[in-house]
Amino acid sequence: MRPHDNRAWFLIAPACLLLALVGGLPLLAVVNYGFHDIFTLSDVHWVGVQWFADILGSDRFLASLGRSLLFSALALAIQVPLGIAVALLLMGCGRHAVWGLMLVALPLVVPWNMIPMLWLGLVQPQTGLIGPGLAALGFDWKFTGWHSWALILTMDTWHWLGLVVVLAYAGLSAIPPAFRQAAAIDGASRWSVFRHIELPRLGGALAIVFLLRFVDSFMIYTEAFAINAGGPQDATRFLSIELGEEIKGFSYGQAAARATLYFLIVLAVVWAFVAATRRREA
Amino acid sequence: MMRALALLALAGFILLPLAQAVILSLTATLPTGTVAEGSLGLTNYRNVLATPELRAAMVNSFVYVVLNVALCLAIALPAAYALARFRFTGDRHFLMAILVFRVTPPVVLSLPIFILFSRFGLVNTPVGIALVHCLFNLPVAIWILESFIRAVPREFDETAWLDGHSGPSFFFRHLIPQIAPGIGVAAFFCFIFSWVEVVFARILTVTGGKPITMAIQAMFGFQTDIGKVMAMTCLSLVPGVAMIWFVRRHLARGFTLRA
Repeated sequence: MRPHDNRAWFLIAPACLLLALVGGLPLLAVVNYGFHDIFTLSDVHWVGVQWFADILGSDRFLASLGRSLLFSALALAIQVPLGIAVALLLMGCGRHAVWGLMLVALPLVVPWNMIPMLWLGLVQPQTGLIGPGLAALGFDWKFTGWHSWALILTMDTWHWLGLVVVLAYAGLSAIPPAFRQAAAIDGASRWSVFRHIELPRLGGALAIVFLLRFVDSFMIYTEAFAINAGGPQDATRFLSIELGEEIKGFSYGQAAARATLYFLIVLAVVWAFVAATRRREA
Repeated sequence: MMRALALLALAGFILLPLAQAVILSLTATLPTGTVAEGSLGLTNYRNVLATPELRAAMVNSFVYVVLNVALCLAIALPAAYALARFRFTGDRHFLMAILVFRVTPPVVLSLPIFILFSRFGLVNTPVGIALVHCLFNLPVAIWILESFIRAVPREFDETAWLDGHSGPSFFFRHLIPQIAPGIGVAAFFCFIFSWVEVVFARILTVTGGKPITMAIQAMFGFQTDIGKVMAMTCLSLVPGVAMIWFVRRHLARGFTLRA
């Protein structure tokens, strides 16, 4: 058992200071701006909850919220099982697994604004490697909504699968071999080994995967904007794209109110998730 | 057999877009005086290296990423040690707080960060970006280092103390060599999250100090030389690939949720 010692605060004080500067202060500022109308930084008027009421009452906001939630749900539903499957596949490769891990980690080091460029190049109907084939099948991401979605989801999966695989693989390789040996003696099927031994012990790794993938897909901006700028006909207009428009349009008060709302949504999901995780552990 | 096919499909999926980039980067996509359009060669790479802005961008990116990694490790190490070895009032709140900062979407904070940093003169410098990237890298570094320190038995600390090592000497001479793989993994994750980040890097570089990501963005225009863009992209992958290679043996330690 670790001893109780409040002098440990000296050790975490630098971290607290830095996070207060780059996280705490800006967060307070953004909440504060959300209650003001901002023309310039010296011409600021109190407007109360007007921006919040405007945003929450607009159909566009609700539609974007729905789209972002759907996108996150799809991204998680595809990437988490696929990532676990790849990790299990690599577990069976012994010491060659490291090559697989390096392979899936590659997309993680591509600058985010270049990822849509790579994929747009790939599906380009004339010159892309798979573009002519897709065009022959009638794939048209520019003007067909669900094709746009498919492209963004595929791109997002390509980008982030590596993180899921690395963390799931880490969780899997932390399971003592004795567990699997015992299961083998009992004659357990592959599925029941996964269901009763591997999955429960992946908990910690999967929790962080779920949280990181949820927030990053929920707030997807750079990649989604570059593919189709929210089109066709708003089909890929996610929450962050609306926020980006307001910042670009210099409506700082509205943008801050909107940012506060997004932060609260993310916070609520994280809090519910952590509460559920703690209850399960207790 | 099934496994080989599945691995092949995976490799194809991961490598296809990268192959596209490499092919384009070797193709002359804009006709110039000496090189015909569509011909293969290293022209694009030569063009990139001959452009002062692009060279400067590589240096800028490198400087803030290295600064960020150093800062994160220096601050995360004591914090991780405290969390791994002691209980203290508010430790769970601290863990919750760093989780919240890790998941705060950058776009939410971009506006006040810009205003705050311009007041401190931290705009257009790599220092500003290095500081702000700690927002999401510091929590990850703390999680990773904490799990590595926790794996070292307490007796290790006590032996070092009995040998007369205390404070800094213990940290540098004993703890850091012991958890070197953890430091490598933490540095890797800080590096990749900082290297590829776009939102903060964009708003904090208005006129100067442009990182690679923004320099690539600036290459798009009326007549975009896509081959040159892809050459720059391929070059921007080199440090990341090198990092993957260095930590390949320890990559599989990963990190888990601590809350």
